[in-house]
Amino acid sequence: MVNSYRPTSLQEALNILAKEAVTPYSGGTDLMINPDVNATYLFLAKVPEMNQIVADTEHIRIGAACTFTDIIENELVPSILKEAALQIAAPAIRNLGTVGGNICNGSPKGDSALILFAIDAKLRLVSSRGERVLPITAFYLGRKKTALQADELLVEILMDRKGLNNYYYKKVGARDALAISRVSFAAILNVTDRKILNCITAFGAVSDVIIRRAEIDAMLIGKTIEEAKAAKEEYFAAYDQKIVPIKGRISAEYRKAVCMNLLRDFLKSNGI
Amino acid sequence: MERISKSIKKKDHESKINGSALYVDDHFIDGLLCGKILHSAKAKARIAKIILPELPDGYLVVDKNDVTGINRVAIIVHDTPVYAEDTVEYVGEPILMVVGPKDTEVEKIINKIVVVYEEQIPVLDVRKSDTAFFHYNYAKGDMDKALAEADHILIETFQTGYQEQAYLETQGLIAYPQDGRMTVRGSMQCPYYVHSAVAKAIGCDGKDVQIIQDVTGGGFGGKEAFPSILACQVAVAAKKANKPVKVIFDRREDMEFTSKRHPSVSTYKVAIKNGEITGMDIDVLFNSGAYTTLSAVVLQRGLICANGVYRIENLRVAGRAVKTNTVPCGAYRGFGAPQTFFAVEIMMDHIAKEMGIDSLELKERYMVKQGDATSTSGSYHFHVPLPEMIQRIDELTDYRAKRKLYKNQIGRYRKGIGLSMFFHGCGFTGSGERDIIKAVVKIRKNADNTVEILASNADIGQGLKTTFCKIVADTLGISYGQVYIHNPDTDRVPDSGPTVASRSLMTVGGLLQRAAEKLKKEWQDGEEQVVEEHFVEPDFVIPFSLTDFSGDAYPTYSWSVNAIEVEVDTLTATTKILGAWGIFDVGVPIDMNIIVGQMEGGFLQGIGYASMEQMDYNDKGMIRNNSFSDYIIPTAVDVPNLVTEIMNNPYTHGPYGAKGAGELPLVGAAPAYVEAMENALDANLYKVPFTPEDAMEILQEVNK
Amino acid sequence: MMISFILNGQEVASAAKANERLLDILRTEFTRTGVKCGCKEGECGACSVILDGKLVNSCMVAMGYVEGSTVMTIEGYRETERFAALDRAYASVSAVQCGFCIPGMILASECILAKNPKPTEAEIRAGISGNLCRCTGYNAIVKAIGLAAKEGEGLW
Repeated sequence: MVNSYRPTSLQEALNILAKEAVTPYSGGTDLMINPDVNATYLFLAKVPEMNQIVADTEHIRIGAACTFTDIIENELVPSILKEAALQIAAPAIRNLGTVGGNICNGSPKGDSALILFAIDAKLRLVSSRGERVLPITAFYLGRKKTALQADELLVEILMDRKGLNNYYYKKVGARDALAISRVSFAAILNVTDRKILNCITAFGAVSDVIIRRAEIDAMLIGKTIEEAKAAKEEYFAAYDQKIVPIKGRISAEYRKAVCMNLLRDFLKSNGI
Repeated sequence: MERISKSIKKKDHESKINGSALYVDDHFIDGLLCGKILHSAKAKARIAKIILPELPDGYLVVDKNDVTGINRVAIIVHDTPVYAEDTVEYVGEPILMVVGPKDTEVEKIINKIVVVYEEQIPVLDVRKSDTAFFHYNYAKGDMDKALAEADHILIETFQTGYQEQAYLETQGLIAYPQDGRMTVRGSMQCPYYVHSAVAKAIGCDGKDVQIIQDVTGGGFGGKEAFPSILACQVAVAAKKANKPVKVIFDRREDMEFTSKRHPSVSTYKVAIKNGEITGMDIDVLFNSGAYTTLSAVVLQRGLICANGVYRIENLRVAGRAVKTNTVPCGAYRGFGAPQTFFAVEIMMDHIAKEMGIDSLELKERYMVKQGDATSTSGSYHFHVPLPEMIQRIDELTDYRAKRKLYKNQIGRYRKGIGLSMFFHGCGFTGSGERDIIKAVVKIRKNADNTVEILASNADIGQGLKTTFCKIVADTLGISYGQVYIHNPDTDRVPDSGPTVASRSLMTVGGLLQRAAEKLKKEWQDGEEQVVEEHFVEPDFVIPFSLTDFSGDAYPTYSWSVNAIEVEVDTLTATTKILGAWGIFDVGVPIDMNIIVGQMEGGFLQGIGYASMEQMDYNDKGMIRNNSFSDYIIPTAVDVPNLVTEIMNNPYTHGPYGAKGAGELPLVGAAPAYVEAMENALDANLYKVPFTPEDAMEILQEVNK
Repeated sequence: MMISFILNGQEVASAAKANERLLDILRTEFTRTGVKCGCKEGECGACSVILDGKLVNSCMVAMGYVEGSTVMTIEGYRETERFAALDRAYASVSAVQCGFCIPGMILASECILAKNPKPTEAEIRAGISGNLCRCTGYNAIVKAIGLAAKEGEGLW
């Protein structure tokens, strides 16, 4: 098709992307809201590497063009990501919408992006010039601005195979389906030998980018539950300073209150 | 259950479920042009200049200069322009229409047009408006004396916001000239309203205008008057182009620029003496938006309901519908009643709290009964079933026990239960039915003994095609299959009045029953016969005077009690609805499934109004939440199964005992929900919608 | 270059551009006006069709995406026995009011039952959570789907 392309291999897709100003199209659920009538779409549904979910020794690898339904139905996918995917929009959107599109949209309200922040996921970005693997925390440069270059495709999302079971996730929207997040929160806590091995928290929909403060979470790492209890007010105070919700149609006060409440509840649910 | 109530397969079930029903946008017409309106971007401005781009062949611009009749839309007071003249009064006011063969090209042209505005200062705060379109006052007893002698006076102010009808099918009409006449067809509730408006706008005789209602995807009042405005615009365009023109609003356009429920501010001053409510002094303010449209009647109804279902000896009610530079508000199911019933029900809750008793206990003391005077010194001529409804709700929900149980909760999840009691006045307010509408119906019996109903009421989903046919078939003693009704076409049907005010079944159904009785007496097999019936006001009605604002505002009332149970998650301040129960007295249901469907649908709209349907304009008078992602209506997972019951209380003057049904179920959901939230949060609340943000503010206050 | 796909069991080819909306092309070029437009933003479900066995909002699908795919609209689905079962169930509770949401709702009903022939009420509600209805309050529709599951023994 002259007004679109349907590559059947990654290489073919990358070659086209390198030469022409095409718009990568995986699910279309963002693109089709206000479509550009002059756009030439690069349909990605037939690129094998982008449409599979596999596991290797270290990682689970999810193709960026996998739909949310694919993710929900695949047994390899960690539960935290499934839970978030299940709360996205509604069945018809989940059947089309993809995790890659959700990430590359660049919005801090991206439900799957939030989870990927909390599980320290990495993004495999490929172009005809080569490839790079970027931690998702380095992918967002500002509101709706990502590190994706014009000739790059997000091909796969990589996440650890282990350590993602003890999670906390809450999405707060205007209703229970078809809801854009007003506040979203995801966290992972792992305790080994009665010491906190890692603690990751991430807040979505409250700022220009998803908030992740590894240096604050670090306050709890290495501590026992009892020690963490003693440190928690300081931990909350540090977050209280850093979470400054932007003014939007939903009040900053509301979002802030919800963030702090969920953070407290996350610790409480772990005995802290 | 009465025989007539037994549910039957709806006349229009098949065509709608198999996708063959033709809504206005489904018609393929040769040479059809598409039209799109250019809406004002400013809330108040003078139009200094309009700079048009060069128009390709076959594309044209239509504006005030093309109005061959009067550039005003006939809706009660004719102040709405068809196309804007020198000024624009709200963001969205139609300035012109671009018409042409391809919609993408029409859009391109619209985007190239430059309107040069001389901006003026809009009035956006309803309290600061200096233009009252309408005001009414009425009183009973001696309010000043009650205030002077009171040992306690409670003053509170309540606010309600917009509500957008959010019908699934947006506004849309097609106009086409043929043989010197103009036909307009499409999505509407009131073909004869449109007929009258179009004739005046294009300046022709009524006989040269034909209006046809197409299968309509929901109305709820939003297609009562608005289509008259759009029809004038499309007809003027079609006349200029001398070709068929279709305008279908897109969703954002519809949400931002079409009529909505009037936002309100009501202040209640209640006199209390010796633990008794001795008087209520009520002031009501409705935000009309920029033009009058239906505000007079909405205000009237709102004021009539201001003291709710309560017997208040000393009453003074004053109300105004004021102008602001915002989208004109109009009809939406309930039509002024949801606003004031919210206020009075919550006021009673607060009075009860002040007195240290439960709200139900207080309300029961003041509930009206048959024979009592209405707010406007009319009479409740018929039985008022509130006591048995309250009993039934308590049985279903354990309301009284839960109210006590839910006081003073401290956990993460806080439950609450609330109750409301309310009525809806059946039919047109006052003597409108008798003096203005003067409904006429016809029934035509064909030679093959099939019978056609000729009435102008529109089936907009509420099942009129089915219920009208049931009434006629049953009265004639023939099969349901032998009776039929087409979508109304003003060339073929008399004016039986608009599809509004919960009047269709009670009033027009009643006329059809009488017409059928007449036909039955005169029935001749194998002959074609036509029978006509005209409206006659029931003889017991105490005439209503608008100047005195007294008498029977309505011949009778439909009654209801609602209860809603909630659970608030104090971490997120979001609320889950655990249960919603409604007992409804709408007289005898002409079809049980259809009536229950109306109760369930209206109830959910009321729940949406109470909890999530927030819409407001910014400091430039623009409505920002103009899409389904921003204007939040309930999905199937936002509510549990709604429990509705129909109470048996036949209306002696309605067909088969039926009375007004359509609007009642929306009216009382909001106060039931907010009372439940008050129970859960242990706080006094004053607004609708009451959202998670509002709940969080209360929770944070408590924590301080 | 034409876009080929299978529409309601028939092989068809469209002259549309790849970036046009499936909804628009179905309604115009293929005159399948049973597919309704409620919002054009994927927020209401009125335009739902079944694409390769999955419920999707046709307003969110670019024509180029459907090359080689199978599309089913209400016009195709109404020929099936499963439709007949849903038709009877919806009729028995008068679940069709204004009708605008109904073609999409019927296809959503099909997708629920195809995946789960004996759904719970919660599963039914989740399955239609993307189909807005303003008339019914959802009660009758949920009931109808449950009835179809019961009466339509063996169909799903």
